Parts: sequence; structure tokens; C-alpha cells
Amino acid sequence: MDIEQKQVELIDYFVKQASSLNGPALSPLIAEATSNPSLFAFSEILSVPNVLELEGTEYSVYLDVLRLFAHGTWSDYKSNAGQLPQLVPDQVLKLKQLTVLTLAETNKVIPYNQLMLELDVLNVRELEDFLINECMYAGIVRGKLDQLRRCFEVQFAAGRDLRPGQLGNMIKTLSDWLTTSDNLLHSIQEKIKWADTMSEMDKKHRKDVEERVEEVKKSLSLKKLHPVSRLTLTSEGMRKSTLNLAE
Amino acid sequence: MASSSSGLTFKLHPLVILNISDHYTRVKSQLHPPPSAHGATNGVDPSPSPPADPPRVYGCVIGVQRGRTVEVFNSFELLYDPATHSLDRAFLDKKQELYKKVFPNFYVLGWYSTGSDAEESDMHIHKALMDINESPVYVLLNPSINHAQKDLPVTIYESELHVIDGIPQLIFVHASYTIETVEAERISVDHVAHLKPSDGGTAATQLAAHLTGIHSAIKMLNSRVRVLHHYLLAMQKGEIPCENSLLRQVSSLLRRLPAIESGKFQDDFLMEYNDTLLITYLAMLTNCSSTMNELIDKFNTAYDRHSRRGGRTPFV
Repeated sequence: MDIEQKQVELIDYFVKQASSLNGPALSPLIAEATSNPSLFAFSEILSVPNVLELEGTEYSVYLDVLRLFAHGTWSDYKSNAGQLPQLVPDQVLKLKQLTVLTLAETNKVIPYNQLMLELDVLNVRELEDFLINECMYAGIVRGKLDQLRRCFEVQFAAGRDLRPGQLGNMIKTLSDWLTTSDNLLHSIQEKIKWADTMSEMDKKHRKDVEERVEEVKKSLSLKKLHPVSRLTLTSEGMRKSTLNLAE
Repeated sequence: MASSSSGLTFKLHPLVILNISDHYTRVKSQLHPPPSAHGATNGVDPSPSPPADPPRVYGCVIGVQRGRTVEVFNSFELLYDPATHSLDRAFLDKKQELYKKVFPNFYVLGWYSTGSDAEESDMHIHKALMDINESPVYVLLNPSINHAQKDLPVTIYESELHVIDGIPQLIFVHASYTIETVEAERISVDHVAHLKPSDGGTAATQLAAHLTGIHSAIKMLNSRVRVLHHYLLAMQKGEIPCENSLLRQVSSLLRRLPAIESGKFQDDFLMEYNDTLLITYLAMLTNCSSTMNELIDKFNTAYDRHSRRGGRTPFV
């Protein structure tokens, strides 16, 4: 969430700049925005009307670049490299960071092989350096690197700009989450009731056993006056009371 | 009571609230000792029913004032002399000096008391403190438990000079405050919140208490997620303009779900679950075998007497 706060001023600045400039002047602005090391959100700039006007003109490639940075990955750039302008190393770095964010969107555990494929990195050392220096220290990703299993466990990843269709998915996820927590609340309440019921039953049972022991004790003390039948009664009484206890 | 117009923001630390409530509880239980303290000569001797109004306790609050923010950190108790309707001044000065040595930044910001409403007599004490701090604060804690009330029963009053009937008078006005915690305070407040009833020894009551805690925590989470859900729905319908920064944060939050689905978690969880079950089983077995042992001893004693009369009965 602090990433959003860090970006707020930058976004405001660029939006103001974009609304004041027009046409060809926007292309260096877009280049500046996409190379800025702390800016990862581009949908605000995309929605400025002057930028959208670039569509269809000879400068629409810059609009495509902006869109690529907002929603696309490094592989998208490579497949369309012919139509898009050359990217400076800063922009390449940013695009790779954004690629990591996109990968983190789909799985929580990303295997190194997939990361190396997507980011065009050849060995694990370089990959880990990139992840640590560029992604974790920048604060856009938090997670654990598991070298034995060769995967990257993501605990937190900053959000990228939303495509229009993703809002529906998010709402669905939220409603699923709500249903799950409602069910959980319900089952917790049932468990509490069960615990109370069981303790009630236990108390009752204990009381019953005590009562029967008292009864047998009384009957024993009454029968003390008959020594002959005493033995049978003793064993009988003991058996009864012990049977109850063992229940 | 009107609300404060001085524009000061008040921040209250939970330590102050705990101190006040502790002071009040101590004084109350010292005045009316619980029934177990009485001898058992007359069987159960119920304590005399406590008088209708529990005692009021008084004390001083200290803290820091930076610009427009008043932060109340700590408090200490004071003796109230009902004869002269004043607080023990010498004690206050001494305590203040001691606290100054440990916390040089803290000043006496005001005083506290318990009760349900601010009274006229409180104004005397308030004026007495005005020579230490020109505008002291008055923290009032309401010790009566009201289950329907959701907020804390703590109110902060400031004094303002109002002209009533042509005479300028100081009256108390409400001030709003926020609760501010430091990490260490959060740990202790959490500890206090999780106090289990120590005499409710049965496993069932402790389990019920623990589950109730979890239940309320999940309920709060549920309500917050519901708010987000409504907000997103409204955004989708177009009633609220799209705020991209918020959407990004929500999407990053949702990506953290499901939080506990991985295989590793299942393994660890099942292992711990099995361990606990095994230990419970073992304890139960030990219990059963010891009861069985006692039973057999009793049997042997019973049959032993029988066998001495004549013949031998096989031992169990």
C-alpha cells in the first residue's frame, strides 16, 4: 500500500503534464513516465483525453507503448517488437518488473524456469539478483526465494493496472470470500454450541453417577446388621458401583 | 454539553484507560471485600450489599502537547480529600517531579475521574489544576458495564469560557479523541483481551471463550470485506467514478488469497493435528489404566477378606 502512496505524487505530476501538452510533445513525456523507477501505474495517464487522441495518428505507437506498460509483459514486447519503438534500458527494466507482477497475479508459487523464460535471464544467480534488487527492494513484491525447489513464493505483489474485464472477476472473488467467511462463522457458532452441550451432558452424567454411588452406600450401611449375607452384598454393591464408574 | 471548538486533536493511549479502570477496580474491591474473605462460621456469609454509588477515584493524566495535538500517554493516582473538596497538592507535586525525571517530555495535561457524567464539583478540581496547565483536560471513565454500548465509555472534556446569563463561566465541553497505540501497548492490550476466566476451569468454557474470540475477529473481517464488495459493485455500475489506485490495491489484496491452500500447509497442519490427537489419546489411556488399577486394588481388598475365611480365590 505504500507503493501507491509513493506513486500518488508522480501520477499527479504526469497527469498534469499530459493534459497541458498535445500530440508529438507527448511522446517524450510517455518515455519519461515509463522509465521513472518508482512509477508502476499508468492507467491514470492513459485516461487523460490528450493521450487518447494519439490513437490513429502517426504517434499512436507511443500510445501502444503506454498500453503495453499498463497491461502487457516483456514477451508481448518481444513479439511485437517490429511495430513498437526501441525501448531504453530503463524502460526494459521497468517492463521486466511489471512482468514479474503479472506472473505473480496467476500463481503464488512461480518456478524459476518460468521466470527465466519470461524475463530472458539465463542463470539462476542473475534471476535472483534481479528479483532481490529490482523487485523486493523496490517494494513491489514480497516473498521467499526457495532455491532447493527452484521457485519463488509470493506473499505480496503490488497491483497492476486493471484491464476492463478484471473488475468482474474481482467482485466474484470478493463475494466468494464473503460466502466462505459466512460459512465459517456459522460453523464456529455450531462448535460453540456443541462444546456447551457436551459439557452439560458431562455434568449430568457425573451427577447421575454420584447419585447412584450414594444410593448404594446407603443400602450398604442399612444392610450392616446382616453379617451372613454381608459378603454377597459387598461384592454385589462393589460390582454395581464400579460398573457405573467404568461407564 | 456542546462539543469543543478549540480545534485540538486528542490522542489517548490505552495505558491510561487500563490504569483508570485498574485504580477503580482496586478501590472498589478494597471497600467491599468479596464473600470468600468472610469466615465460614455461619456457612455462606454474603457480604453486605454494596451502597448504591461506588466510590469515585481521581488521578492525574500526563502526556505531550505538540502544536494542536494533545497526546495522553500515562496517568497516576491522586488522593481526594472529601472534606476540603480538593486533591492532595503536595503529593501531586512530588509525583510530578518523579515522573519528570523518568519522562522529561511529559507534562501534566489534566486529570481523570470515574462516574457517568461530569458534575459541578468537578469544576473546582479543574480550576485547581489550571495553575499547572492553563487548559487541563478531564478524562471521565464510566465504570458501569453497558452491553449495548459499542464505544468505549471514556469521554474527554475541555473547559471553555462561555457567557451564561451575562456571567462568563467555565463549562465542560465534549472533545473527540482517537486511540493511539505503540507496539508494546498493542501486545499488552491483546494479552488483556485474551484473558480466559481462570476459575472457569472446564475445558468447554475455555474452548467456548477461545472460539468466541475467533468468531468476533472473523465477523469484523467479514464486515470490512463486505464494504469493499459494495464499493466495487457500485463502481462497476458506474455510480462512483473509478479510482484506479484503490482498484490496484484491492487486486493486490485479492491475489493473496487463498492464503492457506498450499500442499506444505496441509502436511504441517495434519502432522500437528495428529500429534495433538495422539497425545490426548495417550493421556486418556493413562487415566484409564490408573482408574483400572484402583478398581483392581479395591476388588482385591474385597475378595482378600473373603479368601482369608477359607479357600483361596484367584487374584485378578
